Amino acid sequence: MTMTENNGIQNAGERMSGPITAAEIETARFCITYGMSAGASQMRVSLSKSILDSFTVLNGRLDKVMHSADRSLFLYIFADGKYGTFSTNDFSETRLKEFISKALDTVKMLAPDQCRRLPAKERKTTEAVTGQELHLFDPGYLSLTPEAKLQKAMNSSIFKSLEPDSRYTVISEECEYSDSVDDNCVLDSEGFMGRHTETSFAICSEMTVQDASGRKTSGYWWDSSPFCNTLAIDGCSMTALSKAIEKIGPKRHRGGTFRMVVDRSVSSRLVSPLLSALNGAAIQQKNSFLDGSLGKNIFSERLTITDLATTSGKPGARLFDTEGTATSDRPVIKNGVVSMYFINTYIAEKTGLSPTIEGISRPVVAPFFPGSMSEGDADSCLSEEFEINLPRILKLCGSGIYVTGFNGGNCNPTTGDFSYGVEGFAFRDGKITHPIREMVVTGNMITLWNGILAAGTDARPCTRWQIPTLAFNAADFSA
Amino acid sequence: MDKQHFLDTFRVTVPQMEQLTKTALKNGGDWSDLYFESTIYGDLLLKDGEVTSGGCHTDFGVGIRVLSGERTGYAYSENTAMKDMEAAAKAASLIASGDTGNRCNRHMTVRAGTCGRAIGSDLLYPESSAWENVRASELLPFLEKLQQKITGSDSRIVKVIARLSYSHSLIMMFNSEGELTCDSRPMGSVTASVIFSNGSRTENKTASRSFRSGAELLTGQILEEIAAEAVSGIDARFEARRPKGGRMPVVMGAGASGILLHEAMGHAFEADFNRKGQSVFSDRMGQKICDSSISIVDDGTIRANRGACSYDDEGIPGQKTYMVREGILNSYLHDRISAGWYGVSPTGNGRRESFRYNPVPRMRATYMESGTASPSDIIASVKKGIYVDEFSNGQVKIGEGDFTFYVKSGYMIENGRLSTPIKDINIIGNGPQALADIMCVGNDLKIDNGTWTCGKEQSVPVSCGIPTVLVKSLTVGGE
Repeated sequence: MTMTENNGIQNAGERMSGPITAAEIETARFCITYGMSAGASQMRVSLSKSILDSFTVLNGRLDKVMHSADRSLFLYIFADGKYGTFSTNDFSETRLKEFISKALDTVKMLAPDQCRRLPAKERKTTEAVTGQELHLFDPGYLSLTPEAKLQKAMNSSIFKSLEPDSRYTVISEECEYSDSVDDNCVLDSEGFMGRHTETSFAICSEMTVQDASGRKTSGYWWDSSPFCNTLAIDGCSMTALSKAIEKIGPKRHRGGTFRMVVDRSVSSRLVSPLLSALNGAAIQQKNSFLDGSLGKNIFSERLTITDLATTSGKPGARLFDTEGTATSDRPVIKNGVVSMYFINTYIAEKTGLSPTIEGISRPVVAPFFPGSMSEGDADSCLSEEFEINLPRILKLCGSGIYVTGFNGGNCNPTTGDFSYGVEGFAFRDGKITHPIREMVVTGNMITLWNGILAAGTDARPCTRWQIPTLAFNAADFSA
Repeated sequence: MDKQHFLDTFRVTVPQMEQLTKTALKNGGDWSDLYFESTIYGDLLLKDGEVTSGGCHTDFGVGIRVLSGERTGYAYSENTAMKDMEAAAKAASLIASGDTGNRCNRHMTVRAGTCGRAIGSDLLYPESSAWENVRASELLPFLEKLQQKITGSDSRIVKVIARLSYSHSLIMMFNSEGELTCDSRPMGSVTASVIFSNGSRTENKTASRSFRSGAELLTGQILEEIAAEAVSGIDARFEARRPKGGRMPVVMGAGASGILLHEAMGHAFEADFNRKGQSVFSDRMGQKICDSSISIVDDGTIRANRGACSYDDEGIPGQKTYMVREGILNSYLHDRISAGWYGVSPTGNGRRESFRYNPVPRMRATYMESGTASPSDIIASVKKGIYVDEFSNGQVKIGEGDFTFYVKSGYMIENGRLSTPIKDINIIGNGPQALADIMCVGNDLKIDNGTWTCGKEQSVPVSCGIPTVLVKSLTVGGE
C-alpha cells in the first residue's frame, strides 16, 4: 500500500518545522501590505494549515481511509473605525487582491465602532517564534508511514479475538486511529508574528453489544497525545467493551435529591457553563449568570480553577490567543472567588474593564477532599501522595448517582439553570449497584457548585481541560 | 446556470474528470465520485444598536471518494490543479488496495431511473436575487429595522443581537458512471436574540428563520414574524418555574416539537446505523412500530425549505421518503452505500457538510403528517402533564434509543387546561417506546423554519415539523 509520503512538512536546516511554508508566510504578509495600501488602518492575518489522516476499522476490517489537508487565510480588517472578518483558501495573488479589495468595500459600509483595534504591543507575546516553544510537536510524525498508521488502527481492534459470552453478543466494533499536525501563524500590521505548531495522535473505539433481551448498549473509549509513543492503543477497545457491558440491565431509579458523582471523562460538561459565563462578550451583552461577579465570593471556597496555559508539552497549552495576546498561568476562580473574566481588546474598550485573554486554554480544577485538610485550604491536598480517585469519592459520598455520560440538555446562560439527561449508575455504601436509565438532573450552576464535596486528582492526562472526578452534595434527579 | 458555467467555475473538463475517476479506481473498487464546491458565506452582526461587524468567507475545493463494497476512501484538494486532484484521487484509492471484500449490488445505486427526477434547483430554491450580487449596504437596513421593531415592543428589553448570515454554493458532481450533476444552492438565515430584565430577573429569547433562498428572503413579513416571535411569551417566561419532575404525559405543540421525530426516530432510521446493526430499529423493517394513524416523512422537496435538496451530495434527486407509513416501518434513509447493501434505491439522503467530508445518510425536513384531532381536544384530554412548544437542542443514543431534548418554554396542564408556565427542562425518553406511546395526532401540521442544524459528525441544515401530538409518558426534568 502506498500513500502520499510528503506531508508538506518543512525541514528548516536541522530543525523540523510545521507544514506552513516560508512562501505561505510571505502570502500572509502580502495580504497585510496590500490591505494597508488599499485603505485598511490595521490588519491581522491568521494563517492556518493542517494535515489529518484517519483509518477506521469496522469489525476488524478496514472500513474507511481519510486524508485531509487544509490551509486558510483569515483576515481581520480595521478601516476608518470599522471592522470585518474575511477568510479564503485561495492563495493566488490575483484573487487575493480582488478578495481584499471587496472585503474593504464591505467593511466601509458597516457602522463605525471605535472600540475595534489591535491589542497594545506590550500585551502580545514575543516568545512564539518557531511554533515549537511549548514542545507540542512530535518529529516522529514525519516518519510514520501509512502502513504503520493502518497497523495501529488494526491493532486497536479486538473484534476477531472475542470469545462468545452468554450475557451478550457483540454487534459492532468501530475503531479509529488518527493523527494530525496543526500549524498556525498570526501576523499583524504592527509587526507581530506568533506561531504555534502541534501534533496530535488519537485512538478511539466504540463497541455495541446486545443483551439476551435484545436491548443494545454502547461503550466508548479513547486516548490521545501530542506524542505518538505515549498513545495508549492497547486496551482501548477492551475498555469500550467493558463500558458497554456495564450498562446491561439498566433499571429505572426513583427520582429525588441525591449526591452526584460525575466521572472524569464527562465532568468538563459541568465546568463549561462556568467558563462560558466568564466570557467578556456574554458579560457585555448581559447574557451571563456571572455578570457582576468579578472579585466576589460566588462559589464554595473549595472550588479553584486555574488556567495553566503555558505548561510545556501538555495538550491545550498555548503562548498566545487569537489576537496574539500572551497567555499566562493564572487563577480563574480561586477559593470560590471569581478572579477574572475573559476580556479581549474589543470588550475591554467596550466595558472599561482591563483586558485579559480571549478565552481559557488549559483549565485545571484543583483537587479537594474533605477530611484530608481543613475546609477552604484547597492547596493543601495538592501533594502527589494523596490520590483522590473514583473509589475514594464514592466511599466518601456513600449513596447517590454516579454519572458517566450526559445525554443532551442545556444550561441557560442568563440564569445558570440547567437540565441534562444522564446515564450512569446508582451506588450505595460506596459501591456501584446497577445502571440507571432515563434520568434527568436539574438545577442551577451556582447552587450546584456551592455544594461541591470533592474534586479528584484523576483528570485524564490526554485532555486539554484537566477536570477530574467531581462530587456534589445534592442534585435533583427526575425519573 | 448551464453546465459550462460550473465547468468554468471549477476550471476542469469532462475528460479530466473521467481521468480522475479512473485514477481513483486504479487499485480496484466499485465506484468513485468527485464533489466540487465553491461557496461564498457572508454575515452581518448587529449589536448595541448598530451593525458594527460583518464579513465574507470563501471556500473552494473538490472531494474524491472511492467505494469498495461498503468501504470508503476519501481525500480532497483545495484547488483544482490536475496534479493536486490526482494526488487526492490516489490517496482515496488506497481503500481498494488488496481488496477482497464482499461486493454489494452497486448497480442498484447508480441507475438514475430508479431514483426519480430532480425538481430542479430553480424551482426548489427561489433565487431571483443572488446574495453575492447584493451589497452589504443594501442588507443593513433589514437588521436595523428588525432591531427597532423588537426594541420598541417591550420596555424590559436591555439588549438585542441580530444576525444575518447567507451563503451560495455551486456544486458539481461527477461519478465513474459518467454522470454529471450540477446544483446551485442559496441559503439565508436571520436570528434575533433578546435579553430582557424586569429589574430583579433576567431572561432571554431567540427567534430565527432560515430558507434556501436568495436575498428576496428579506421581506417585511419575515421581519414581522421574527420580531413578534422574539418577544412573544416573555411575560410567561418571567413567571415560569420548573415543574415537579417525573414521568408524565407530554403534549408536543405543533412545529418545533418535530425535534422529537428528529432525535427519537429520525437518527435511528438513518441506514448507516442500521447497516452496522447499531440502531434500535435495525431489525424492525416492515414491522408495525406505532399506531396506524401515524406517518413520518423525511422530505427534500419542500420549496425553499432549509432541508430541501434538489440533489443530495451524491447526485441523487431530492425525494420525499416515508420512513413510517400508517404505523409500519417503511424505509430507512439511504446513501449509495447503504442502498447498495440493502439492495434498494437510494433515497437522496447522502449529505455532507462540505467537500471536506464524505457523504453519509442524513435527514432533510423531517415531519409527521397531520392526524384528525383538534389541538384543544388533545390538551383537554390530559388531566395532569405538560405542554411544550419551544426547544433548543436534542440528542440521541443510537444503540439504546434513548433521546433527550431541551425545552425552553411550555406550560403545565392541569385538568385539561394550560396553567403555570414552565421553562429550562430536559425531557428524556426511549425512541421506540415514545413512538408507540403517541396516543393522539392533531390536524395542525406545522413545519418549523428556524435555523436547525444537525451535528452527526458533520453539520448539515435540516428542518422539522409535527402536528400537536400527545405522548403518553416521558421523563420530565424538574424539582
